[in-house]
Amino acid sequence: MIEVENLVYEYPTARALKGVSLRVPDQTITALVGPNGAGKTTLLRCLAALEYPYSGRVLIDGLDTSHSPRDIHARMGYLPDFYGLYDDLTVRRCLTYAARSHGIASDAAPRAVEKAAGRVGLLDRLDSKSGELSRGLRQRLGIGQAIVHEPHVLLLDEPAAGLDPQARRDLSSLLLTLRDGGMTLVVSSHILAELEDYCSEMIIIENGLIAGGKAIKVRDDDRPRYMIELATARSDLREFLVGHGADVVEADQVHALIVFTRNPGARAKLVRDLVGAGFDLASFGESSKALEGAYFAQVGRTP
Amino acid sequence: MNPEFERNVWLELTPRRTLMMAGLLALTFFAASLAEGVEWGPSGVASLLYYVLVVVWGSRNAAMSVVGEIRDRTWDTQRLSSLSAATMTWGKLFGSTIYNWLGGAICLVVMMTNLVTHLGPATAAAELVYYLGIGVIAQSASLLASLIAIGRRQAHSRLDQFVYQAFGLVAALAVYYIWSKAGPSISSSSRQAAADVIPWWGASMNAGAFLLTSLAIFAGWTLLGCYREMRLELKMRNGPLVWIAFLVFMGIYVAGFDAWLSPQMKAWDAVALRLLLAGTTYILLTYVMVLLEPKDHVHYRWMAGQIGAGHIANGLSGLQAWMMSYVATLVIGVALSLWLLHNVSVAGSGQPLVLAELGFITRDVALFVLMQTLPGRRRGDLGALAVLFVLYVLAPAIVDGLGAKSVLFVFFPQLFAPAWLGALAAWLQGLAVASAALTRLALDEKADVSA
Repeated sequence: MIEVENLVYEYPTARALKGVSLRVPDQTITALVGPNGAGKTTLLRCLAALEYPYSGRVLIDGLDTSHSPRDIHARMGYLPDFYGLYDDLTVRRCLTYAARSHGIASDAAPRAVEKAAGRVGLLDRLDSKSGELSRGLRQRLGIGQAIVHEPHVLLLDEPAAGLDPQARRDLSSLLLTLRDGGMTLVVSSHILAELEDYCSEMIIIENGLIAGGKAIKVRDDDRPRYMIELATARSDLREFLVGHGADVVEADQVHALIVFTRNPGARAKLVRDLVGAGFDLASFGESSKALEGAYFAQVGRTP
Repeated sequence: MNPEFERNVWLELTPRRTLMMAGLLALTFFAASLAEGVEWGPSGVASLLYYVLVVVWGSRNAAMSVVGEIRDRTWDTQRLSSLSAATMTWGKLFGSTIYNWLGGAICLVVMMTNLVTHLGPATAAAELVYYLGIGVIAQSASLLASLIAIGRRQAHSRLDQFVYQAFGLVAALAVYYIWSKAGPSISSSSRQAAADVIPWWGASMNAGAFLLTSLAIFAGWTLLGCYREMRLELKMRNGPLVWIAFLVFMGIYVAGFDAWLSPQMKAWDAVALRLLLAGTTYILLTYVMVLLEPKDHVHYRWMAGQIGAGHIANGLSGLQAWMMSYVATLVIGVALSLWLLHNVSVAGSGQPLVLAELGFITRDVALFVLMQTLPGRRRGDLGALAVLFVLYVLAPAIVDGLGAKSVLFVFFPQLFAPAWLGALAAWLQGLAVASAALTRLALDEKADVSA
């Protein structure tokens, strides 16, 4: 569990975080998105106990980053946006060092190394030098180093940057596997479409604050997002939808993005009611770009 | 094995590099043994190579052991490990220099073989301790300098790296000098006859034992300094007690040398001289630390906020070394003034001079803080040094050139200043600059909060 309460962080030249509060439940994947310079990396570094808050507090599994940073480091995995590897060491030695420096005993390290390498698909590269790996394989090794000690919390800053489509798909699968294995993940990224594949919640950081004040549910299997399109504009579209039990994410006179139950009967009734109320319905379907829509609905609204 | 040390061994001691070092050194010693007319022979060459490999090259590698990780973007990953600060410190200190120590060990074997053969095992053992000591001190001083610098900024130029290494080299030179005075007089022709005794706290100490003990204690403080700085890098808070202990140690240690001053300052008794020596040491430490430590206005505001909220211990955990050194300077300065006040026969103009010095040091440390709060604060320390250069050198030179010597007390403590006027001028400046610094810090907070 990650809990952040009114977090303020200052660089000598500017206040980067201006009172961020959030809560990330266990065994979830939360996306951290926002424009460049919004404060995403600073927030991740505060979560990783690499920076002390100016005020407010950050709790990781109940431990305060200001009071127990080393305990938090021990249960944390973190892949920064720009990170380095020991190019002259083999993949096996890179992972062994990561395991040993996280307190895994020398006799248990080989097993941990094999497991981590297997998870990130590097078993066949264990004896290659890391400096000889491609961009995508280096990224996998970076993640492998971050998870070799089975952390409770995994923070990834732009993990998909520079990866090809297949590698991104592999990354998505890996993150879902890690979540299902018990980890809590926070992933910062610019690639919204990819986040939609594995994130359950999205936090938009803008100008040092959380846009909208809280996390946005990205995917809810019981209540997905639907896009409604009208052929003829109606100014009462939003009110009508709210009146029929839909959560309206955004709406204008011809479009609406809503969260609504997956139940087929309820959906059929909503469509019937729309048509019955004279709405000139052109389309009604599950949104394929829900995250992007939610993002642009929030960004720019931060006071 | 220490994982950090082991990683360094993997990187540094590859079979090819190990063979290369051993082979090159073997060839060098073989050539030295064959060369005619070479005064030193293999042992002398080994000594020279030891200094090059362990002291010069080793101090560079120690200075780069963390700076290099930052450059290669691996430091954050290391900071997130669960290694303790002590494990990380010795893993870095001896791991990054393991290749240097390999070469140094080969050189030591050659030197010790020669020493045991010609001067006996006791001398060889003493020399072994010296060589190991000078290597450890040079490398740990370089690592300490680099760790202190990392607290200030993350970017480090080649010049910066050389400066960190230079700290180690200066420490090594000091060790070399002390050893030349106190060590067993052997091969080096530069060694002079050792001084017999050193007066300290009224006692005559055996020079050799005193200097070697001092060396060991200062090496211990240097290693402790590395450990403490590493703790900060690993986001652990350091309390003020260790620095206070260091201040107490330094005060007592330096105050013991009063016999060196008494011939020049016959009017002052031993107590006054000891307070003067301790105070001067604290002044130096204050200036060195205020220059080295980051003067982060965000940190100062955080401290003030914590203390204001009643979290005294938390706030005090943020005390910097320069602050404690400054307070120690004030305490000793006031004590010296009071002592002089009650010893009228020796006071002379010493008392106003001491108070003036306290005023000037207040002005100077406040100036360092103030310059960090001004626009373009990245170069704040350079700006402060420039202002101090004007205040202590240029302006007095101009005033002196204009024939107004009588107002020089405005710029620095003057023995012949009008009674108390010098102290008043110094404290007015000190309070003015301190007020300006505090005002800037308060204005910065308002600006940041409203941003």
